[in-house]
Amino acid sequence: MTENNFCISVQEVTKTVDTPDGALDILQNISLNVRYQEALVIKGASGSGKTTLLGLMAGLDQITSGEITLLGQGLGDKTEEQRSGIRAGKVGFVFQSFQLVQGATALQNVMLPLELGGEKNAAEIALNSLQQVGLESKKDILVDLLSGGEQQRVSIARAYAVRPQILFADEPSGNLDAKTGHQIADLMFHLRDQSGTTLILVTHDAELASRGDRQVLLESGRLQS
Amino acid sequence: MAIVNTSQLITQRISLLLDRQASELLAADLVVISANPFADEYSQQARNLGLQLSTTTSLRTAVFIEDDAQLVKLKAVDSHYPLRGYLEKSVDLANDKIRVQQGPKAGEIWLDSKLLTLLGSTVELGKNRLSANWLLTYEPDRGGTLFNLAPRILMNLEDLPASGLIVPGSRVKYRLLFAGEPGQISEFSAWLKPRLRDGETIQNLENARPEMRRALERTRQFFALSIVLTLVIAMVAIAITARYTASREAPKVAMLRAFGISQFRLFRFYAWQLGKVWLIATLLGVGVGWFSQYPLQWALDGWFGKELPPVYTLRPYLVAAVVGLISLAGFSFPYLVSVIATPPMQVFRHISSPQSVRRNLLVSGSAIVTLFLVLIILMQSSKLAIATLAIVLVTALLLPVIFRLMINTLLYSSTSRFWMRQYLLSRLKTHTRGAMFVMSGFSLALLAILLIAVVKDELLSSWQTQLPDDIPNYFLINIPTEEVAGIRQFLDQRQVPTSNAYPLVRTRLTHINGEAVETIDFSSPRAGGLLHHTFNVSYARNLPDGNAVIEGKWIDPNSGLAQLSVEEGMAESLEIGLGDILSFSVGSEVIEVPITSIRSVFWENFKPNFYIIANRQSIEDLPQTWLLSALIKESQKSELRQLIAQFPSVTLLDISELMARMRGIVERASIALEFFFIFAVASAFIVLFAAVQTGRHERQTETSLLRAMSAKTNQLYRINVLEFTLMGILVGLFSALFASLSGWIISVYFFDIDYHFSPALWGYSLLSASLVLTIAGILVSRKVYNISPMKILRS
Repeated sequence: MTENNFCISVQEVTKTVDTPDGALDILQNISLNVRYQEALVIKGASGSGKTTLLGLMAGLDQITSGEITLLGQGLGDKTEEQRSGIRAGKVGFVFQSFQLVQGATALQNVMLPLELGGEKNAAEIALNSLQQVGLESKKDILVDLLSGGEQQRVSIARAYAVRPQILFADEPSGNLDAKTGHQIADLMFHLRDQSGTTLILVTHDAELASRGDRQVLLESGRLQS
Repeated sequence: MAIVNTSQLITQRISLLLDRQASELLAADLVVISANPFADEYSQQARNLGLQLSTTTSLRTAVFIEDDAQLVKLKAVDSHYPLRGYLEKSVDLANDKIRVQQGPKAGEIWLDSKLLTLLGSTVELGKNRLSANWLLTYEPDRGGTLFNLAPRILMNLEDLPASGLIVPGSRVKYRLLFAGEPGQISEFSAWLKPRLRDGETIQNLENARPEMRRALERTRQFFALSIVLTLVIAMVAIAITARYTASREAPKVAMLRAFGISQFRLFRFYAWQLGKVWLIATLLGVGVGWFSQYPLQWALDGWFGKELPPVYTLRPYLVAAVVGLISLAGFSFPYLVSVIATPPMQVFRHISSPQSVRRNLLVSGSAIVTLFLVLIILMQSSKLAIATLAIVLVTALLLPVIFRLMINTLLYSSTSRFWMRQYLLSRLKTHTRGAMFVMSGFSLALLAILLIAVVKDELLSSWQTQLPDDIPNYFLINIPTEEVAGIRQFLDQRQVPTSNAYPLVRTRLTHINGEAVETIDFSSPRAGGLLHHTFNVSYARNLPDGNAVIEGKWIDPNSGLAQLSVEEGMAESLEIGLGDILSFSVGSEVIEVPITSIRSVFWENFKPNFYIIANRQSIEDLPQTWLLSALIKESQKSELRQLIAQFPSVTLLDISELMARMRGIVERASIALEFFFIFAVASAFIVLFAAVQTGRHERQTETSLLRAMSAKTNQLYRINVLEFTLMGILVGLFSALFASLSGWIISVYFFDIDYHFSPALWGYSLLSASLVLTIAGILVSRKVYNISPMKILRS
């Protein structure tokens, strides 16, 4: 914990990218703090910078200016390798398009981040995680053969398997129908309540957004109150 | 395109050079032989076509050495002789030879080494008295009748009429020699053949010099095989790139179709793009091919010893353009058809459609037709074309199956851990990556290279086996029976290695099964030449080196029955076989002997070889001379004068020049073979580049995901390198397997050479494939693991 109990602190962060037409400001002067175990929802129209902000907060990208602190460690001056080390074992991801390893089973997909982190009991922990999402019966099925909802549940199981302190979810129900999306949302928040994980969620889904503890709105790269 | 064009140009030029060097052994590109003077029409037509002409006249006559008459073969040549090659003369046996492009001047003759005693004197030939100032040490077209040699005298054709040697009833051989560009020679030959009169025969390299024929034929076949295999590599690169491009274009096509653009319009658009690619590639490729002749020529000229003949036809360029079009169309068309059929629904979700099966069938069918067309255009032997096609197709079909089987076997034999081995194997298995396709493609490329290397090595090895450095360089012929022991003793005392001595009985074939040969209608054009041939029948206790009995049984030396062994080519031309009785005239005697075996003869080994071998009892009482071969070193050549002085009846035939020419042709052919090997390797790198590009996006996305899951840099590095290394090991292993099998089939059944299993081939294949692909993996990794993990959020 930081001294002021924020697991993520974003201070006057700007992200600028170079384009053929010149420099483009994706995010401008963003400042916000996220408490531990908080469920923060980032909303905004397409192109508002939601995914960029999510990525910067997770240490997947580098800021142009400002400062981001993740779990008490500053990300601003870190290399990709160093930022990866900060994330290891502490951060989980759920993606809109699932991003599972095709040609591998559900169990193998959940095992992957555990084995990458050097976990010796990866299989056991992964199986437990699949049980938590109700897919233990499908552990040996290739993920290519699972439905969209099932694939997203595997993705959630993978994210929670490492017992993350923070879970970043980018449009987790974006590729799913309303009913399945609702189920996924239930599952994510249930697991979050169980584990006390901080949840940073990007979504268009108003119903999903309403389940967060707090919502922030991005418009044209700026944070609206 | 560049490969085909350069290969075509250089091949044509090298082929021309080799043919021309081989033609030097005929002193021309084409020779017509007759027992009567020629009508003017042949010469006139040849001049009309722009051919070079020369005339020679040969007959037997006698010269007096002191009071003894010596039968000689007189050859009168005009000032244009030889049209190909050169003559060599010397003032003495031990002196340096002088190379010249013309024969003796009027009033002068050049002498065979056997007539050494006449050197420096004035010789009476008929009514002429001619100065004998030179020894004739090399005559390009003499070797064709190696063992039918009375001592030779070369004279100027202008001196022949005044000599009065040609009278009615004289047995004279008239020769018209022609030389020119291959097209001119072909045209003239086609004009000439139906106009030949009785007793007139055409002699070209193919029928005149059997020991050259096979070597040249094999070289040409190898060139064609190498070009095709190099093309296979290029086609693999086209296929890999076309497949990859199609997969990238599919979403765009789905979107355009969703917007109502018709498939015909899409087809037209992509066909036009491909057409532009072909046009640019043709211009660039032909240009590169044309320019690359010059550095290659510069590199090869020194080795070949003379300029490669220029090629003035458009054919190589047209062939390159046509082959390029066929290859591009053949390997791109199936993917084009497939991509324009992308369902519009794919804008919403990916559909794995049954058209994948249809596409695979289309790809396979198109590949077969394309390969076959290209092979037919480029290759001379349709059997070899079909065999090469079959090898490539079987390999292309089997490899993906084998690779999938290997990967599945490795997968299911793995431990419970997913990272790193099972992760790696599952990556290779996924369709989107196309790893099976890439591995198969690279395997085909490596197979082509290995096949070129295997056949090249076997060819070179077989030629070098025929021409070891210690092969005898002199034939001693016309040795009287009573002098054989003395000559052997002479040579043994001087540590000159010699072969066995072979008896020679000069015969003419008169009857086959009691029927006079003049009355038999033979279907083979070669038969006529054989019937006019004076055969030197020998006998041998044991089957000579380089001979193999293919029908019947070898001569039983202990049997008193008459037995005859006939060379297979002669048997085929004269349509004779086991049990047929041949009648030969030997002077006034006639012998009748049944054929008891048919032999294959390895003519290229420059050892004494015979069309006909009889049992000893059939010919031992007939007039005969003997021959043996010897290896006489340069330092021992001064002894030759003493040899001839002691044994004046012996004729010395120096075949070192002939062997040197053969070795030279073999060495130059081998350089050309290396050239194709290098081209094939260069092409394979194109395949490698195309292969690395395939799966690039998938690799980037995977790396980005692994980074998001906090994979370390060395983990990312290792997984990428290991992926390529594993592919390299599988590719190396199975390429070696298929190359060994293919090399055996092609060597034994098409090049008629032995094949030797080579553990080194397996080693090279594994090592090169693993090393090259590992290095590729390292280079790919350096780019990929710098990919930002943000990519995964954006994908």
